[in-house]
Amino acid sequence: MNRPTGSPLIKNLEIKVGALLAATLLLVAGFVLYTMYARGAFHSTQSLTLIAPEADGVSIGMPMTFSGFPIGTVKRMALSENGNVRLEIAIPSKDARWLRENSIFTLEKGFIGSAKIKAHTADLKDKPLANGASRTLLTGDATEEIPVLLEKLKSILNNIGDMTNKESEINQTLANVQNVTHRMTGEYGVLESVLGSPEKAQQVVTVLEKTNTLLSSLNGVSLKADTVLAKADSRLFGPQGIMDQTQESVAKLNTILGDVRESLKKADALLANAQAASADLPKITSNVREATTDMTNLRSEIDDSVRKVNHLINEINKKWPFAREVEIKTP
Amino acid sequence: MIFITNFFTRRGTALLATWRIWRDTLRFAARAILIAATPAAYNSATRTVVMKQIYFTVVQILPGFMLFAALLSYVLIQIVVTTAASYGLSEYALEVSMRLLVLEILPLITALFVALRSSSAINTEIALMKINGELLALESAGVDTMRLEFMPRVIGGMISVLVLTAFTSVIALVLAYLAVYGWQSWSLPDFSRIMGNVFQNTVLLGIFLKSLAFGLAVTIIPVAEGMATPRMLFMAPISVLRGMVRLFFLIMLIEVASLALKYI
Repeated sequence: MNRPTGSPLIKNLEIKVGALLAATLLLVAGFVLYTMYARGAFHSTQSLTLIAPEADGVSIGMPMTFSGFPIGTVKRMALSENGNVRLEIAIPSKDARWLRENSIFTLEKGFIGSAKIKAHTADLKDKPLANGASRTLLTGDATEEIPVLLEKLKSILNNIGDMTNKESEINQTLANVQNVTHRMTGEYGVLESVLGSPEKAQQVVTVLEKTNTLLSSLNGVSLKADTVLAKADSRLFGPQGIMDQTQESVAKLNTILGDVRESLKKADALLANAQAASADLPKITSNVREATTDMTNLRSEIDDSVRKVNHLINEINKKWPFAREVEIKTP
Repeated sequence: MIFITNFFTRRGTALLATWRIWRDTLRFAARAILIAATPAAYNSATRTVVMKQIYFTVVQILPGFMLFAALLSYVLIQIVVTTAASYGLSEYALEVSMRLLVLEILPLITALFVALRSSSAINTEIALMKINGELLALESAGVDTMRLEFMPRVIGGMISVLVLTAFTSVIALVLAYLAVYGWQSWSLPDFSRIMGNVFQNTVLLGIFLKSLAFGLAVTIIPVAEGMATPRMLFMAPISVLRGMVRLFFLIMLIEVASLALKYI
């Protein structure tokens, strides 16, 4: 008997084998859990029933796609009483938000591969599709539409052929565009392309230059006007300005008016005397001479006063600038 | 006339021999499974044999075999992915490569590898024990050879095949993801959806039962063949040869049967 039965030739045999078996159990359990998760055992789903006239190419477990991404799978399919096919689709709750009340569902069959159930949602702000909702499945066979498509394609190709002809409008337009862009690359750029020739562009440029000089001289004018206004200001309101002098004149006027009042009082007294004189005729005669001399005096005094006032008013008129017309000439 | 009689006699004898050996194998398998199912059959001695069987079949070869399986898986996945892409069927590439690798090729490769490495050794050992009269001696000494020698090997071989299949399958899964999607994790939901499609409960049960059958085959056939060896030294290589051919035949039979069950 030379077979190694139970001999301790292998170090840590139990630990090694135990670890291996534990790892295997872990792997298997993990894998089973993963496949359960992958089949949607751990997330809730909502159901959707699609009713189709026929379900050629549809199989259980087939995905329903939205924008090319699978969001549900066919769970059950059966023939209903009226000959239609009922497809029950399970949609994970987290993907249900892509389906709305206005969603439509289509069954498309291509040349190769199985049919495809597609969901289309135009308005993602619509109300979400209720759990257990029922919709019709629109079927379309790609091969059925090929002849129609070919007809359409032919007419489209003809149109394109017309468009790309040498004499076509598009070509002419393009030639014009080329002309314009060619001018744009000239000395006067875009201006030349708009006006048509470099001479016209040159004229526009000259006009612009003239406008520029005009603007700069206008600038000088406004500067001069500014200084004139400043001077007028200082003359009017500055010390020794017209306003000050006017004030003095007004003061003088006051005194003059006081004089006038005095003179008028004297005239009043004279008139009172005249009244008294008329009452007493004899007295009048005697006093006539006296009266006339007084009258002469009074008159000269009043004349004097009035003259002073006149003079003063003239002076004010002279000093008041707004009475004259101030004219600012543009150079 | 005599020629014809002789011919049929020879054919009949050969047929009967073949039939007998398969019958013996099945009988042995039934006995081994029955004993394995009784908890009382296990003691420290059987445990040690089981552990050693697992050690020699799995632990020793694990790194090399994993590397080999990874390389094979990666190459096959790339072939499937590239071919599918060139036909515009990329969406089916992952599913096809997973069905091909995890469900069929990896369990088969594992079984064949264990058969080459361990079954041949077991067959030779048992055949020599039989030829040398050791088995007879043990049995006459009152040792239950079935319980102490054969059953632990069967259990160990079975567990080994299951362990190796599990490890290589997981590696193939990871490699398939990397080969199809690259080094990023955004495509995990997509990958999971396809895996969910492939690994239905029945499919998982199918892999498990198939691996179990492979594990039983790679140990029961060599043990049965070794026990059936006539007590002549020159019969040892013939016994191993027969055992290996029958084992290969049985493994292929299991594979074909599983495919037939799945797809027909």
